[in-house]
Amino acid sequence: MTAPHLLALALLVLAAGAPAVLAAGLASRRVASGLAQVVALAAAGLGVASLWGAHGAYALPVLRTTDPATPAELTLFPARIATGPVVVTIAATVLLVVLAVQVFAGWYLHDDDRQPAFAATVSLFAAAMLLLVVSRDLILTLIGWEVMGWCSYLLIGHWSRKGSARRAAYKAFLVTRLADAAFVIGIVALIALAGSSDLEQVLGASSDLSRVTSSVAGACPDTGSCLGPNTALINLAMTALVIGVLGKSAQIPFQDWLIDAMEGPTPASALIHAATMVAAGTWVLTALHPVLFEAPVALWVLAVATAATMIYAAFTAFFQTDVKRILAWSTISQVAVMLSPLAVAATVDDGSAAAAGHLFSHAIFKALLFLTVGWLAVLAGSTAARDLDGIGADSTFAKAVWGLGLISLAGVPLTVGGISKEHVIDVAAWIGGDGPGLRQGIVTVALLVTVAMTAAYATRAYEIVAGRRGAPTPQAQATAAEHGHRDAGPLVKGTLALLALATLAGGLVFLVGPLDPGHVSVGLLALSVLLIGTGVVVGWYLRPDDSLPPARLMTLASNGFGADTAYLKVVAVPVLALARLAAFVDREVVETYVRAPGWIAALTGRGADWSHAKERVSTDLVWVVLGLLAVAGVALWG
Amino acid sequence: MGLIIAMVLPAVVGSLLIIGSRRINAGAAGFLALAAAAGALVATVAAAASGARIKRSWVADWGIGANFATDQISSPLALLTASITVLVVLHGLRHRPPGGSAGLYYGLLLLVELGALATFWTRDLIVFFIAFEIVLIPMWVLIHRFGDNHDPVARREAAIRFVLYTALGSSIMLTGILALVGQAGTSDMRQVLAAGLTSDTQLWIALLLVIGLAVKVPVFPFHSWLPPAHTIAPTAGSVLLAAVLLKMGTYGLIRLPLALTPDGFARVGPLLATLGVVGILWGGLICLVERDLKRLIAYSSVAHMGFVALALGTGSGLGLQAALIANVAHGVISALLFFVVGALKDRWGSVDLSVVRPALRESWPGLGVALMVGLAGSLGLPGLAGFWGEFLAIASAWNPQGSGAAAPIVWLQDAERIGWFAYSPLDALFEIDGIQIALTAGPPNAALIRGLAVAAALGAVLAAAYSLRVAKLIWMGDEAPRDWAGDVTPVEALVMAVLAIAIIVLGLMPYLIFSGPTPFGGVLR
Repeated sequence: MTAPHLLALALLVLAAGAPAVLAAGLASRRVASGLAQVVALAAAGLGVASLWGAHGAYALPVLRTTDPATPAELTLFPARIATGPVVVTIAATVLLVVLAVQVFAGWYLHDDDRQPAFAATVSLFAAAMLLLVVSRDLILTLIGWEVMGWCSYLLIGHWSRKGSARRAAYKAFLVTRLADAAFVIGIVALIALAGSSDLEQVLGASSDLSRVTSSVAGACPDTGSCLGPNTALINLAMTALVIGVLGKSAQIPFQDWLIDAMEGPTPASALIHAATMVAAGTWVLTALHPVLFEAPVALWVLAVATAATMIYAAFTAFFQTDVKRILAWSTISQVAVMLSPLAVAATVDDGSAAAAGHLFSHAIFKALLFLTVGWLAVLAGSTAARDLDGIGADSTFAKAVWGLGLISLAGVPLTVGGISKEHVIDVAAWIGGDGPGLRQGIVTVALLVTVAMTAAYATRAYEIVAGRRGAPTPQAQATAAEHGHRDAGPLVKGTLALLALATLAGGLVFLVGPLDPGHVSVGLLALSVLLIGTGVVVGWYLRPDDSLPPARLMTLASNGFGADTAYLKVVAVPVLALARLAAFVDREVVETYVRAPGWIAALTGRGADWSHAKERVSTDLVWVVLGLLAVAGVALWG
Repeated sequence: MGLIIAMVLPAVVGSLLIIGSRRINAGAAGFLALAAAAGALVATVAAAASGARIKRSWVADWGIGANFATDQISSPLALLTASITVLVVLHGLRHRPPGGSAGLYYGLLLLVELGALATFWTRDLIVFFIAFEIVLIPMWVLIHRFGDNHDPVARREAAIRFVLYTALGSSIMLTGILALVGQAGTSDMRQVLAAGLTSDTQLWIALLLVIGLAVKVPVFPFHSWLPPAHTIAPTAGSVLLAAVLLKMGTYGLIRLPLALTPDGFARVGPLLATLGVVGILWGGLICLVERDLKRLIAYSSVAHMGFVALALGTGSGLGLQAALIANVAHGVISALLFFVVGALKDRWGSVDLSVVRPALRESWPGLGVALMVGLAGSLGLPGLAGFWGEFLAIASAWNPQGSGAAAPIVWLQDAERIGWFAYSPLDALFEIDGIQIALTAGPPNAALIRGLAVAAALGAVLAAAYSLRVAKLIWMGDEAPRDWAGDVTPVEALVMAVLAIAIIVLGLMPYLIFSGPTPFGGVLR
């Protein structure tokens, strides 16, 4: 079997697995959990097998508007998936992370009465991400994109008995969906440019059209594009698409949904952050990078948004009072790092390679970090920094896995995170070439600042878990006691150990695999090491004492500096006011003329009644005369 | 043959049941009605698969007669009608509303089916109008007699408003039809087009037809008969209203103004598209603050029909197909939602969202799952039926020229060159029965129609906001005990499962609606 067939099969297994797991849950939670893990294992197996499969394309028989027998030249949406060396690497990574999450969730949620629903949703979520990874059709991309959004809603709202989880789920879906309106317009505009949703045609059309400012009417599928310079439309389409990506990737100004999303169970966070939803935008833009490259406006939007986000998020991460939230802000920062080379690279290939590389690294170390904190939080009964304080101080294993994850996050050379981050900086800094000037400068400086800040908050995160200072709160102790200090089994610890190993061994994928390690520049590498060292020292000295009540800055940072309130004031309140106005007008104005036919009917009825009253013969006569006059008038007129 | 059986069976059985009324016992009436509805469904499938056609002239001069045919535009809606009727009759076996005898109830349902099927199949303008009106009276009785009995005054008012307002719309449409028949000298649709009316004549006829049909669709600002009618109507009435009656309006827009007065319709199109988008935003906004769940879903119907109006208003081939698929999708999704909400109203007495009740996810997860499938469909989740129509509507609005004109597709659907959902190679010059038809109207203003596409995309965000608002208010909630006895009954479970599966299957394979020799709508060649 070829690679696209294997991955299509993995798609089928995961998608069909979801209802099967749900059904199994009616019988037994344990059976459902086991089935979900088997499904994930089978899919991961297919994903790994695809690494050795022959590359090619395959048209899906579903999720298309024409039946598979339609002649190819008539299909607007061919629903094609295809593989290449990078695609299968990312696909296999995604599937392995999903397997780790399912195994972990089997332990983590074992006393949750809705575990089957959770496992089923994870399976569907994984199918959506896999579809997005292998898609060579913009509509398939959109489908994967939106289905992931829906699954994230269900996962974040999994503990729907908590009011905060309900709100977080609602907020996450709405914020990303708002950005998706732009994403849809971007896709529709690209389809109009190319005359097809097929990615090859879109890429081909953009490279042809952008060089021709006016074309013959017959040869131009999109009249709008032929009226003016085509770069305008490409700019518009790609800017819209980039806005959609900023939403899903939780970049400024959409960043706040991802923090609230920590209300979901930790395996869900691991899934959303590591290899799927938040990183999906990077993959979409990587696939469309040749078109993005032709759209300077979109590049500027992307550059400014990612540069601002990576610094802001890294800064905010340092002052969080909750370890899960440190990781959430770190995701926002790291995804900005991942997206930034696409905005400033010298060539299409450079940018895509750097972005895909960091996507791969981030998937590994972020999955490790979230699953580790999930495990430690069960032991501690809470994810708050003061409760996790020193939880791993006596365990070499905990210190090792947590530490390896953080070292990779900080980008220490030779770890996966270090290799891909160096590549990103290298691409952004344009060593030995003429850069695009200001845009490149902004992003490069932001990247370097972020390197130091990442090392600082990673140091703080390590110190919370590994060094002991205060005593946990009574509530946390009670929660932990309730769960009987249930430690993870060998399967879960084995998963963590393998992921930790992968943060080191994953570097080999860059050396022997298809992922490009880039050209290592000694100067930049030395600068990075220096910055990391500075960050560690600064982080060590500035780290707040979590046993004390949080300082004002920390409280502000933990609230995301009021972004939630801003969302309410800028979007929710005006929209609701408009809605009330519409409801009022609908009731008081539009309804009025609807009642009119009723009134008129009643009125004419009464009028006829009155005119036919028996005692008024004279009035009848008047009507007859009037009628005759009218008839005569019409006859004469005619 | 299939056509005749599918129309005669509900007509005869429905009339018998109404005449028999109280003398027929409820069980027998239900069985008879179910058998008739099932028979009609089988006959409809057979008719769709064989491409049936009947032509008999009654008034030779005007060509008025029994002129019925199936094609890829009629068949999906006819199948939807026949399937929904089976489901509502099935639902009635266990959950028949009080207010009258079983015979009357089932008889009314079958008469609605008769009118709808005849509307979808006729190729004669006068018969179209008659069939269109047949539906009104049984529907009025359903609302008036079997509606929500909490408030008799509101019930009477809603029923009378429904019948008068839609009759007003129909009479405007009748004016348009008579003008068309008068101008063309025939009521046979095929010959009307060939009569070659001038563009200006087409314009005012199209305007009359569009206004008349816009009431039925309903297009903003003619929508306000719908919420009260939905609120009061019994579950089956709401389902038929949403899944069948509204579709007659949009189908009428395709079959009459779009196909018969294409140049006139092209000039009315931008207005229709604009009103459609206003409806999307208007309905979506009201849903954000509406307290009654049934009214909320009625307003969401206004929004969904807005997408159909937008798609048709673009005048493009892709828009036409988007409208057809959105029609079927809305039929299935709103039917599921009204079944669920009806079930909730039976259990709770009202569906006021401001009343705090045990969350469905906690106490009645069966109903909860059905509700969530419906809501996910309603917000246009890809992979479910609602996505395609709305996405393609936006796509066709962004680029109306890319896919050729709409009218030729109605007339030439069997031609080899038609690729459904393709950038169709059909051009504005085509031939029917040897007569050349040349469309002269240009495409709509690019800036306007693209602005509408963006506004419609934002309207889809409102759909997410109100759908999940409902989910947040009644699906999610604090812990509550599981209530096995109150959850879905077997009949409800069956009906809802059929609809939920249909939503998923149509979402995964939307081409089932159009293509190939399938019983789902294609014609065997």
